Amino acid sequence: MTKRVGTGRTVRHILTAVDIRVEEGELVAVLGRSGSGKSTLLHLLGALDRPDAGEIVVGGERLTGRSERTLARIRLRRIGFVFQSFQLVAECSGEENVLLPTRLPGAPRGGTRRARALIEELGVSPVADHSPHELSGGEQQRFAIARALVNDPVLVLADEPTGNLDTSAAADVLRLLREMTGRGRAVVMVTHEREIAAAADRVLEMANGRLA
Amino acid sequence: MRGAWRDALTGVRQRRGRAVLTATGIALAAAMLATATVVAYGLHTGFDRSARAADLPDVIARFDEQPLTRVESRISALPGIATTTFRYEVTNIRIAGRGHVSNHGTVEVIAPGRRGFAILAGRGLGKSYGEVLVEQGLARSWGLHPGSTLYMQALGSVRVVGISESPDNVAFPLAVPRVYISRETSEAHFGHEADPDVNTAELWLKDPARLDEVLVQARATSYEIRGLRFVTQAGVKILLDEAAGIVIALLVALSAIALLTASVMLASSARAEVQRRLVGIGLRRALGATRAHVTLAQALEALAVGVPASVVGVLTGALLARGPTDRLLAVLNEVPPGGALFLPLLGCFALTTAIPLIASAWPVWRACARPPIALITGLELRSGSARGSQGGKRALRLPRPRGALGLGSRLVTARRVRLVSTLTVLGTSVAFILLMLALASELGELASNPATLGKRYQLTAALPASRASDVRRLGGVAAAAPRYEVQALDSFSLGETVDLIGYPGDHTVFEAPTLASGRRLRGAHETEVGLGLAQVLGLSVGSTLAVQLPSGREARFRVAGIVNSLQHDGRVAYVSAAGLLAGEPSASEQIAIRLHPNASQAAVSDELRALGARPAATSAAVGTSQALISALTAILRVVAIVNGLVCLYALMQALALTARERRGTIGVLRACGAGAGAVRIVLAGAAATVVLPAAVAGVVLERLALGPALGQLAAGYASLALAAGAGEIVIVLAGLALFAAIAVLWVGRLTSAEPIVGALQG
Repeated sequence: MTKRVGTGRTVRHILTAVDIRVEEGELVAVLGRSGSGKSTLLHLLGALDRPDAGEIVVGGERLTGRSERTLARIRLRRIGFVFQSFQLVAECSGEENVLLPTRLPGAPRGGTRRARALIEELGVSPVADHSPHELSGGEQQRFAIARALVNDPVLVLADEPTGNLDTSAAADVLRLLREMTGRGRAVVMVTHEREIAAAADRVLEMANGRLA
Repeated sequence: MRGAWRDALTGVRQRRGRAVLTATGIALAAAMLATATVVAYGLHTGFDRSARAADLPDVIARFDEQPLTRVESRISALPGIATTTFRYEVTNIRIAGRGHVSNHGTVEVIAPGRRGFAILAGRGLGKSYGEVLVEQGLARSWGLHPGSTLYMQALGSVRVVGISESPDNVAFPLAVPRVYISRETSEAHFGHEADPDVNTAELWLKDPARLDEVLVQARATSYEIRGLRFVTQAGVKILLDEAAGIVIALLVALSAIALLTASVMLASSARAEVQRRLVGIGLRRALGATRAHVTLAQALEALAVGVPASVVGVLTGALLARGPTDRLLAVLNEVPPGGALFLPLLGCFALTTAIPLIASAWPVWRACARPPIALITGLELRSGSARGSQGGKRALRLPRPRGALGLGSRLVTARRVRLVSTLTVLGTSVAFILLMLALASELGELASNPATLGKRYQLTAALPASRASDVRRLGGVAAAAPRYEVQALDSFSLGETVDLIGYPGDHTVFEAPTLASGRRLRGAHETEVGLGLAQVLGLSVGSTLAVQLPSGREARFRVAGIVNSLQHDGRVAYVSAAGLLAGEPSASEQIAIRLHPNASQAAVSDELRALGARPAATSAAVGTSQALISALTAILRVVAIVNGLVCLYALMQALALTARERRGTIGVLRACGAGAGAVRIVLAGAAATVVLPAAVAGVVLERLALGPALGQLAAGYASLALAAGAGEIVIVLAGLALFAAIAVLWVGRLTSAEPIVGALQG
């Protein structure tokens, strides 16, 4: 796939002829420096943005050429996001943040049960009713991971998931990402840290919008 | 200064969308304020302005026709008279022109000298035969202008040379058509008289403050002059205010409310904007900008947005209100304020510019007193962050709304100051719109339903009192009795007129305004006075009402009760027929007829005609004033529409600011799979959180506070029901729901159009 920004003489190629295939149960790390295009790749894979050329298929569903409504439905049921800055909603407790995707129109049934199970599994049930500003960075990222998993997606995309965490918390998060793949999910993680990328099954290096 | 200007203009350019939103708010507030100001100022000052423009005399004396020399000698003996002119007024003259005709025209034959009316177009009367001046209401209604031709009974064809206006009466078609001709024209047709008859004298006093003394002297020296009645300038003003007084007072109150609403709206908007930009302000402080520079740049930016918006708003409001106001003033024979509006409108401009300026600059000035790092790290925005972490003690959490709707509600309640200010604006606006609708309904009732004045009879018949028993025998008639009415003057304040109304028995069968205090009258020497009269004359139960009757006699009545009456601004007094006729045997009489509930008014009218009577339906407060009512209704509509737009803006502003500030949150939601519909649900939750309490607060405020308070303010002389009814509440709530839906759709569309990636990074 290809992604450009700008037009005419100001056009810039962010991604050029990128071809990536991630299997079920695989943890793939995309490693690259700032501005290499790795976050853009993640956005395209997650249907947050559209490529200028090429085709993206997630869990057998083609993303390219689909309407916004369809893409929203695909994001809701098939894709989960983990952000570097956690992106928890400040007004909601940890548990409510996890429940958010389950209460959107079109979400699969059984969301509350799955959310509680995930919170238990990730070890944050004692602080489930705390607001984000009352939680540590590691706890916040666990809730963010639980939110990404709550609708049982086939693909989890993690954008610098350990970027705001200390070493110990980062190791925990990496372990959780690894555990996700054990249930047949594909996980794509982008990072600029080689040590973090080393935890993946496969490392793809990205530079100047191209995969090495 | 130059640097601050540059910063300010850069700020406006960088935040173009936000500047447009702020400017829209300022323009709407300015429009609302200007609308209220134009209407209130125009009406409140209309009579005095017009009286000055027309050189209205201090006193108009009307009497049965007398030779000029007889009247002139009496008046010349009065002290303190500056100028006098005499007229001869002829009524029920047939006038026709441009396809219109009236058999009730009034022709005033005027002499040279001071006129007592203004010339709006053309010129005054010359010495040529066949020239006529027409009153502006007649000219407007019939399409007459200088050069038009009129046909007048006895005079034939005459030429219109000018258009006149005088505030001594309302205009045609509320009043009869009025034209002026010169004495030369009259004499050319009817022949020269050495001592012509006159029936009206206009008196200008050297010292208008000594009016009462002159009137006492005039009454004392008026022997041989029959049918003498004085109308003072103050009296004319009272008569005219009778129709519009309620609305004028309400619109003055409207100005105050509009100012309050505008202030809250502009201040909250400006404060929210500053709150949003605290980090940027902190950065500039950290880079070395002085407190004064940052504040000045903010103030100049507020000016750059506020000045043009305020100008546009004030001009729009003034233009919107000008048409209906001028129409209303024309109906009242009053001059539009024109250039006199400049200063009040300048005041509106100054206020709507100063409020956002101060509301922007003051928080910046205060914020700059803090360490820059506190602003950069956003301590101001996260002041509540310590709440839950105090020694493990957790604050009591109330049940919180869930789901997308609940999230919207939480997002909007997170900004409490903004929420409160938006609720204030919406609640006040809802209350105010309800008030306008209630007022419109009340006006309609006053115009068409005599029962609002406490009148319980539906018909009157011009028959002698002795025929009342014949009327009582007619089918459909529940009660009939002679009704006597006479206009008297208060003995101690001759400018105050009083309608004395008398029935031979219990007057409450026919007229039963509610008792405010005391009891009903029981004898020939007792009276029930209207609250308006009691207030003006300082009467209370047990005191004495002394009045001068047209016969020249004085009558005294003990006040038994005070009643709520809207008739003649409450300047009425109910007395027994015997008490009234003892002082004024020639009081006008008619038969008041109360019908059975299911009786046909038309059928009874036919039977009355068969008895030789001329039946007339009972009129309400302004029963024939359709033009006045429609003009007032137009003004109320304009005000309500402007206020409705303010509601829409306040909602859009609240939602847009929330969506803008929480674009990251909405971006996360969309990344999690929320489509445009889910975003709209979030926004609907936010809108509902603002609209529902505001609607409840608005209804409660109008019904319990504003309606009763303004009803009292508008007509302290009576109980005026200005509480909104169910229908009006439903209309306003439906409008509010519609506005909320528009705001949700608009903001939802903008939000969903933004790339998710951009929102996540924002």
